[in-house]
Amino acid sequence: MAEAFMGFSMPKPQIHSPSYQTAKFDAYPHPNSLKQCSSSRFTNGWFQSEGSRRKRGHLCKANAFPDWPLMAVMVEHMEGQRDMITHKSIWHLSDETIKTIYTIYIMFTCWGCCFFGSTKDPYYDGEQYRKDGGDGTGHWVYEKQEDIEESARAELWREELIEEIEQKVGGLRELEEAGRKEELVK
Amino acid sequence: MATTSLLHKSISPCLTNPHSISSTHFAHLSIFLCPTEKPPSCRRLLTTNAKKKNPWLDPFDYGDDPEMEYGSLFSEGKQEEDPRPPDNPNNPYGFLKFPFGFNVEIASLGLKVRGDVRRCCCFVSGGVYENLLFFPAIQLIKDRYPGVQVDVVASPRGKQTYELNKNVRWANAYDLDDDFPEPAEYTDMIGVLKGRYYDMVLSTKLAGLGHASFLFMTTARDRVSYIYPNVNAAGAGLLLSETFTPDGLNLSEGGYNMYRQMLDWLGRPARNVPRQPIPPLKVSISRKLKEVVEAKYKSAGAEKGKYIVIHGIQSDSQASMQSRGDPDSLLPIQIWAEIAKAIRDVKPIFVIPHEKEREDVEEIVGEDASIVFITTPGQMAALINDSIGVIATNTAAIQLANARDKPSVALFSSEEKGKLFVPNAEEKKCVVVSSKTGKLIDIDVEAVKKATQIFEAPLVLA
Repeated sequence: MAEAFMGFSMPKPQIHSPSYQTAKFDAYPHPNSLKQCSSSRFTNGWFQSEGSRRKRGHLCKANAFPDWPLMAVMVEHMEGQRDMITHKSIWHLSDETIKTIYTIYIMFTCWGCCFFGSTKDPYYDGEQYRKDGGDGTGHWVYEKQEDIEESARAELWREELIEEIEQKVGGLRELEEAGRKEELVK
Repeated sequence: MATTSLLHKSISPCLTNPHSISSTHFAHLSIFLCPTEKPPSCRRLLTTNAKKKNPWLDPFDYGDDPEMEYGSLFSEGKQEEDPRPPDNPNNPYGFLKFPFGFNVEIASLGLKVRGDVRRCCCFVSGGVYENLLFFPAIQLIKDRYPGVQVDVVASPRGKQTYELNKNVRWANAYDLDDDFPEPAEYTDMIGVLKGRYYDMVLSTKLAGLGHASFLFMTTARDRVSYIYPNVNAAGAGLLLSETFTPDGLNLSEGGYNMYRQMLDWLGRPARNVPRQPIPPLKVSISRKLKEVVEAKYKSAGAEKGKYIVIHGIQSDSQASMQSRGDPDSLLPIQIWAEIAKAIRDVKPIFVIPHEKEREDVEEIVGEDASIVFITTPGQMAALINDSIGVIATNTAAIQLANARDKPSVALFSSEEKGKLFVPNAEEKKCVVVSSKTGKLIDIDVEAVKKATQIFEAPLVLA
């Protein structure tokens, strides 16, 4: 079993090599930077022969997230077995991004605490908080007490008006009756 | 020189110092300023009669222009009751149906030309008594400006009085007499008042710069207020459009007519409007209030129309309904008990302003004394309305009895106070008994007992 870290970022000329389109994950990657440090078992290196290169194909960088720097590919090789390839990707984020992510995380946590906390808050649903003013639908109605008093005064005004009218009507009736009596007397 | 004298005559009203200008300039000016030989304008004559205007408000305000010709529109008479045209019931959107000739664009012109008041706010300083005496002013505003909506801002105690007033729309509690209000309350109140778009704001609190700026921030057109009669008024006049200077620092010392200056100004004659007479103090009592109070005095063992209200028991309660102008206006219960002994045919009801007084009253008058606990002027008025009459010191009860045409005996610490607070007492069926020494506690109980006979006379007739 051999392990090797191989695929550091590959040099450009390789990508643009003519054999680029042939095979994808057929063989080990052979960047020339790796050639020097690879062990003796890796005989079929990049510069071994032109033929083998054609036969085995070679690795090219397949990037799932094109913008994110994919740093390493780990290859696990077992003797007498087919090649197993394990991808391991490490993201290296900039300080700025890390900060942003943590900020979002904290904000979300705070919001979650407030929101889900408030749904279970007896005070939030209690009379203390939802008494006159709030009608519970999110529409805040102000001055209910003042409204009540205002309508009471309006009612008072109407009462007085009715009384006045009744008095006037009564006076008119009296006048009429007096007129009738006079007529009767005549 | 005949010409110069003529010019001089014609020009003098326009220029204050014509002598400093050379005669050559004179000729030119005369052409521009006074082309026709009219009698000199009587601007200055007008302003001499009127109160001196604050020149800082508008240096170019010379008063009304006598040569101005007003059309018939919005220029004279009182405002209309309801300028709003009726809704169109057939229209699903509720658009207004404008009558023929109604112009939306000029509908509000009366506010400028005639000085209409559609919304008015009164800041009434003081407690129940002061607010009660402000009722005629509100009625006057209602009569002078038909269709006006009157709002009131008063202290929490004073606000309760407006239970008795049908002419008021909103009554807000805000402590005007607090010199250092809570910033939140202060700004909130300004916001509320500004949002209501008042045309006129009246204030009976003596305004300095602080209160004047408070009124100014309501952005009302007319900001009318009493101001301090001393140096504290400095700067207040800049922010107010009309100011009244009272005689003393305490407005309430004016008695019943404490708002005289303001009433004079409110009822001032205008084009084609005669001077508005000052209406008497009237209170109206709602049916609900009457029911509540009836239950109260029935449980105290009294019947409708068969009791006398006694009000003005000494207490440190806030609900004693005294006037600020007469601090010596409460009697201890011992003296009240003596007075109550003289009343035989009808039941005296002792009104206590606080429950803690109940024990004292029971101890001194006896267990069977009927005691009613009343703190609000509304209930007080309802109680008085169902009674035969009132015996009280100088509290709101006396004014309420006068307002409801009930006979009353008023105990005053001095004769002058009595005249101030109950002017023309005979008309109001009010007997004023005043102390000889100037202290209420020295009042002659025998005189009071004699005075209580006015309650028995109607009984004999009935």
